Amino acid sequence: MIRSIFGLILVLVLGAIMVAVVPDIEYSEEIHGVGLHYTSQGMQETGSANLVTAVIVAYRGLDTLGEVVVLFCASTSVVLILSLYPLSLKVSRPSFIVAQTSRLLPAPILLLGLYLIAHSHLSPGGGFPGGAVIASAFLLVMLGGTGVPGSSRNLAAVESLAGLSFGLLGFWGVMKLGQFLNNLVLGTGTPGSLVSAGLIPLISLVIGIKVASELSSVFAAFRYKGGH
Amino acid sequence: MDAHMPYLLCTILFCIGIYGILAKRNIIKIILGIVIAEYAVNLFLILVAYKAGGRAPIFDTLENGQLIQPSAMVDPLPHALVLTSIVIGLATTAFMIALAIRLYGKYGTFDITRMRELRG
Repeated sequence: MIRSIFGLILVLVLGAIMVAVVPDIEYSEEIHGVGLHYTSQGMQETGSANLVTAVIVAYRGLDTLGEVVVLFCASTSVVLILSLYPLSLKVSRPSFIVAQTSRLLPAPILLLGLYLIAHSHLSPGGGFPGGAVIASAFLLVMLGGTGVPGSSRNLAAVESLAGLSFGLLGFWGVMKLGQFLNNLVLGTGTPGSLVSAGLIPLISLVIGIKVASELSSVFAAFRYKGGH
Repeated sequence: MDAHMPYLLCTILFCIGIYGILAKRNIIKIILGIVIAEYAVNLFLILVAYKAGGRAPIFDTLENGQLIQPSAMVDPLPHALVLTSIVIGLATTAFMIALAIRLYGKYGTFDITRMRELRG
């Protein structure tokens, strides 16, 4: 009870401070600052029709590398925490519907994930959402209990290989143009075509593989380490 | 003030999340509070990029065959930030849930007030 009252008081104070600041937020119909540069020059500079992907992979590629490292640390910690010693949780058998769906749906889901990754520079999507979609197909297989558990060592190998490729693609830019993760080592191509936008499709593919294997290993840890 | 109403709703959502973190004793509800606060921040960043009638920042042809002009687009930078934030949020949520599973295995409860004594 004391807990709720103190929490409520603190939240009301915090809320009052935030509400007092809200009217000072500038609201304008015009983009300004670096966003203006991205929308006016982004397609010419990177060759990518999707400007969000251009920002994530080309302009701020180094930050994305850092983000991938954070994701790697988190998934490693989850696997580590859950595999210290097995828990005694019961795993129920999948129902008929889940078991049959897990045979039918993974192929279309995988196709959607690959489409999102391959068209990351043309349409909404990209390496992170595509990887998450692919991992959801693996999750469905695991929930259905039809697939083999999948060796976590294989997943770790795929993940490390993808992370290494990200770094090597970055160093390709150092070798050729003297700048880490330079997008222009392959040329921009015609914006809007499938093979265009320099390194962006390759890096999206690498990110997609890495995210898919990381999330799959997290799911596998919850399913098989947490539930014996 | 009308233009700031969505920001106020964001603030309320964020406060609900913080209240969950401060007042709840069940560790799963605390995690839900963190997630709600996190998504309130994501929503706020998306709202910063909003403009009336803006299009997604993707160069594409419209229904009438014209190319979308850069001036009609919303700012791509907050969208990129939020994409990053969602991925990191997913990773930290998985980490918190793993910790919650471990704590449940050790103490047999999700109640944080009953997790005081050290047990070997």
